[in-house]
Amino acid sequence: MIRGEADAVEKSKPYPQLLVSGIVSGALYLLLYLYEREVMAAFTRTDDWYPALPVLAVFAFSFAHGAFAAYFWQVLGISARRRR
Amino acid sequence: MEHAVIQFIDLQYGDVLALLAIGFVGGLVSGFIGSGGAFVLTPAMMSMGVPGVVAVASNMCHKFPKALVGAHLRNKFGQVDVKLGLVMAASAAAGVWIGAGFQNQIMQNFGEAGSNLYVSVAFLIVLTIVGGFVLRDAINVYRSGETDTQDKTSRLARWVQSIEIPGTMMHFRTANIRVSALFTLPLGFATGLLASTIAVGGFIGVPGMMYVLGVSGLVASATELVIAFVMGFGGTIKYALHGLVDVRLALILLAGSLFGIQLGAIGTTYVKPFMIKVVMAAIMLIVAVSRGLVVPVYLTELGQLDFTPRTMAWLQMASFAFLVLALCVGAIIIIASMLRGHREGAMPVKESAPE
Repeated sequence: MIRGEADAVEKSKPYPQLLVSGIVSGALYLLLYLYEREVMAAFTRTDDWYPALPVLAVFAFSFAHGAFAAYFWQVLGISARRRR
Repeated sequence: MEHAVIQFIDLQYGDVLALLAIGFVGGLVSGFIGSGGAFVLTPAMMSMGVPGVVAVASNMCHKFPKALVGAHLRNKFGQVDVKLGLVMAASAAAGVWIGAGFQNQIMQNFGEAGSNLYVSVAFLIVLTIVGGFVLRDAINVYRSGETDTQDKTSRLARWVQSIEIPGTMMHFRTANIRVSALFTLPLGFATGLLASTIAVGGFIGVPGMMYVLGVSGLVASATELVIAFVMGFGGTIKYALHGLVDVRLALILLAGSLFGIQLGAIGTTYVKPFMIKVVMAAIMLIVAVSRGLVVPVYLTELGQLDFTPRTMAWLQMASFAFLVLALCVGAIIIIASMLRGHREGAMPVKESAPE
């Protein structure tokens, strides 16, 4: 059962959320682009807790960018359909 | 292996655009059938000059958060059986471990060409048999005119569900089955074994859950995302401990695939249930052709055949083209069936009785 679908349809489109998540996601990718060398140097280290960095990074990006992608489809009107 | 010996590539704009596009399409397919994409992403990165082990590690690092997002979304749609996913993932981990050891043995005894030949032949056999079976089932459903009904339980699955082994019985609520763990364990093990061999365990896991355990295509493909998350997470840690993850590649792939996986997951609520099988069969059979094309290349490298370098280069190129074709065909079927489902409006799904 798809929950909250009817509510989602009723609400206005989430433009503010799309904007905020887009800015956060864009900022993260911009940081990656600007600090590419430093990131690669730190993220391929194998001592201490450095190996955790790639894992933490993909979680952080997934959270921000995943939210952005979700709002993007919502704004376009593409959402799950109630089937049963 | 130490990270110091690995040469990470300089990313060009063209590479970034290609990774975004391929990430999106791979994500779309993963969101829909629970797996897929990995078989194209790794060779695609290698063709950009990324060392094989880094391509595998970075692909895995992008796979697990993508699978998490997909699993979370499909769980909201009521399609994920988390317990079944975790049980399968636990035995899949053992399968990966054994499979990796077996791979090492082959590598030591027969070299890289021998290892490649083993992987390709495993691909060819598994995908042809399982893909052919899934396609036959999809055709039967289409011919029966019951495309709107939920999947029927196969004869094998009904037998598996009828076996009562005290102390091993498990109930999986969302999948709506009660089976002995003695059936789920080998299935998860085979999924892991295949994952360590051809990097796409879902090609065994999803059909296995459907035809052996009697889980519907929708729930099986959604539950596979839980398995993909657990295995991808474990694999990433292993590779990260050796400094082999190129986080730039993983994050660029994620940028495209997080859009794709959400669209694919949403797509499952628009299409007729049997479309999962159609997409899966189409991809598996086209990938089988791709792997079949490179078998003569590896046989030549092992001195068993005598192909010219030019012919081998053509075969390898054709093989890669078929991999891309598999992904594109899957994406086109998904989008076309979503559009058709959207046009046809809400269709109530009928529950059907067993055969």
